[in-house]
Amino acid sequence: MSFVSVQNLQKSYGGSPVFNDINCQIQRGEFVTLLGPSGCGKSTLLRCIAGLTAVDSGKILLDGSDLVPLSPQKRGIGMVFQSYALFPNMTVEQNVAFGLRMQKVNADDSRARVREVLQLVELQDFASRYPHQLSGGQCQRVALARSLVTRPRLLLLDEPLSALDARIRKHLREQIRQIQRELGLTTIFVTHDQEEALTMSDRIFLMNQGRIVQSGDAEALYTAPVDAFAAGFIGNYNLLDAVSASRLLQRPVNSRLAIRPEAIALSLNGELEAQVRSHSLLGNVIRYRVEARGVELLVDVLNRSSADLHPDGQRVFLSIDPTALCEVA
Amino acid sequence: MSRAEPGTGGLYHRLVVYLLFIILLLPLAGTLLYSLATSWSASLLPSGLTFKWYLALWSDPRFLTAFAQSLLVCVGALLLSVLLILPLLFVVHYHFPRLDALMNILILLPFAVPPVVSSVGLLQLYGSGPMAMVGTPWILIGCYFTVALPFMYRAITNNLQAINLRDLMDAAQLLGASTFQAAFLVVLPNLRKGLLVALLLSFSFLFGEFVFANLLVGTRYETLQVYLNNMRNSSGHFNSALVISYFLFVLVLTWAANRLNKDKS
Amino acid sequence: MNSIKRSKWLAALFLLPFALFFIIFQIAPLAWVAIHSLQAESGWGLANFSKVFQSRFYRQAIQHSLEISFWSSLFGIVIAILGSYSLRKVDSRLRDFVNAFANMTSNFSGVPLAFAFIILLGFNGALTMLLKQAGIIEDFNLYSKAGLIILYTYFQIPLGVLLLYPAFDALRDDWRESAELLGANAWQYWRHIGLPVMTPALLGTFVILLANALGAYATVYALTTGNFNVLPIRIAALVAGDISLDPNLASALAMILVGLMTLVTVVHQWLLKRSYHVAR
Repeated sequence: MSFVSVQNLQKSYGGSPVFNDINCQIQRGEFVTLLGPSGCGKSTLLRCIAGLTAVDSGKILLDGSDLVPLSPQKRGIGMVFQSYALFPNMTVEQNVAFGLRMQKVNADDSRARVREVLQLVELQDFASRYPHQLSGGQCQRVALARSLVTRPRLLLLDEPLSALDARIRKHLREQIRQIQRELGLTTIFVTHDQEEALTMSDRIFLMNQGRIVQSGDAEALYTAPVDAFAAGFIGNYNLLDAVSASRLLQRPVNSRLAIRPEAIALSLNGELEAQVRSHSLLGNVIRYRVEARGVELLVDVLNRSSADLHPDGQRVFLSIDPTALCEVA
Repeated sequence: MSRAEPGTGGLYHRLVVYLLFIILLLPLAGTLLYSLATSWSASLLPSGLTFKWYLALWSDPRFLTAFAQSLLVCVGALLLSVLLILPLLFVVHYHFPRLDALMNILILLPFAVPPVVSSVGLLQLYGSGPMAMVGTPWILIGCYFTVALPFMYRAITNNLQAINLRDLMDAAQLLGASTFQAAFLVVLPNLRKGLLVALLLSFSFLFGEFVFANLLVGTRYETLQVYLNNMRNSSGHFNSALVISYFLFVLVLTWAANRLNKDKS
Repeated sequence: MNSIKRSKWLAALFLLPFALFFIIFQIAPLAWVAIHSLQAESGWGLANFSKVFQSRFYRQAIQHSLEISFWSSLFGIVIAILGSYSLRKVDSRLRDFVNAFANMTSNFSGVPLAFAFIILLGFNGALTMLLKQAGIIEDFNLYSKAGLIILYTYFQIPLGVLLLYPAFDALRDDWRESAELLGANAWQYWRHIGLPVMTPALLGTFVILLANALGAYATVYALTTGNFNVLPIRIAALVAGDISLDPNLASALAMILVGLMTLVTVVHQWLLKRSYHVAR
């Protein structure tokens, strides 16, 4: 049986539905990501699970019991917010100890547990600092420590890394994942950044306009998007309508096709002729915009040597891996 | 951003707000009722309703004089304020920005020093001698200028900072305008709304001023508040009509200021 | 370079009219009061001040002023806290209406307010009648210290609401939510996080209310025709009354009043420094 089970959840704000009949299952110890554009309902879903936003109807089962009638205080869930939400009038140590204080843990145990979790996030030397004396990344680690020290059954993270700059974000990503694995903590992570979702998760739920569009592991989501939205959101898919696809492949095609740029090989001879229109250097990858049979395509080529550089206007030949062609709705 | 969800919490809050409203409304409501009552002595409700007190009030020449004199003094004070404060603000913000810190301390003085205290010095300094103005409206205009100063300074400062004075002036000057032209043609029009709101709010505050009016001038140039106090021994109904009339006048002013404020965006 | 310097001097000229009026009407009187508080018949010294503190009458004036200011500010701020907090939680139409109403009633102070209260709570006032009939009170004297405290509380409320309403902006929603998830109920949240964070704003507002009440003259004068013993009345009586005029003694009393207000501000700053460090 799954550890977390969301069943037939409904929620509307003032007449307009946020989500309608959402269902999903999460296993114990899994790291699951809710991925989607702003406004798709992922944060609202998270807040419903936390009890911060009331649901209209449906059930949220955690280890068999329904959370919906419980107040946030009683759910045993930890949450990290995008804005850290550290209490400004308390030191790091007091912030982290707050949950234990509410649970009436005695002072010695509390101190020991706080020290232990601060070591886990590598902030043991910052215990007497105040939040305004910490950097963004440090604040987020304190927020993480604070939500872990109470040994919650479920950990929720609401876009915790969005406010941080790129380098810190990468470092924290790894740290969060590592801690989660060590503790075996069931975790739901919300983000709009597909790279984050792909690198961190065991499974991803892709959401759009209040529905779960596709769920699966990173590989499945990346290589087999189910519809045009999924193809457009993950990766840099070339999305072709049926007519253009038919013209390109010179065979009848019934639905839209999605082709990953890296699944198209570029060389100086072959069957499918194309012309380079423009290119951008992305570092280890060169992204070409080519036109073949009147259809514009993005092609990614690994930047191995100067042989991979093709000037604009050059005639090249494409070869498309047939297994990489995805039919999308 | 808070998500206001109705429920028992919502009911409590509504009750508190209604209670607050009623507490604030009570004296006003009582006065209004009294001003419309034919008579209302030791009973719970008045015995009848009439407009006669208002008619008596608005046909009383002494009232009308007091009203006019209040208007004159307040308008005069605000005119003086505009003439003095606008150039001050402009010069401080454009040429001597570091003076702003000093100004912020200075404008605390009218707040920190109660009018009673200033009156002691004012009466002695300007009661007689070369600068005798006690008993004339001139001393009132001068004092009211200091009363309006904090409001006007803060309101226009915020406005100036919002429109980014330096950039506007620099742009105008690069396009060929002299300092004066830039100030009048570019900066001033942008200040209009903020200035108007500040003026309306200061006006309503000045119109209710009593301390200076009573101590420095008294009945020699009777303003509305002094008149109100002097009429204390006449009929309570008459006084109530007076109070309500004054309040309605101020209400209209603050409502206008509020509307203008909302229009700002 | 020279034309810029010249234009700066020219600009400085524009400061002169303002400075002139400000000095004449604000600085000069204050300076006069400060200097003359130290001048008595016997020459320079603290004679006036010792006269004040040795007189039971004047000591009572100071005590009354402090008591009325303290209690009216306390009641006023408690009502304002509860009121403005709830105000933020109701729907926008009700909120805007009551907000605007509170703004407008902040103009309702001084003489008109005194009269309104006499109508309501005077010896024959409607509310007095009501409370008597309901048996809640036996008799009520509006013209006493208690009556004045109620009256002062009334005009402190709009000011308090005006100042505190934006102060609640400092409380972020996610602190509340975080605390809830960590197991805190509403009372615990306010005790450990909400009130401590709001303390600077609360203290600051309290100080402003205190200063407001200490210096108030019109309301108490109109209510008691200048017969109640508070500092502002005493000061005015010594310079504009019918009996003995003693501007030097009035100056001493005035300096004491200003001194009290300064003391209150200093205590406020000291308390602020002792509370937690405010971020940003």
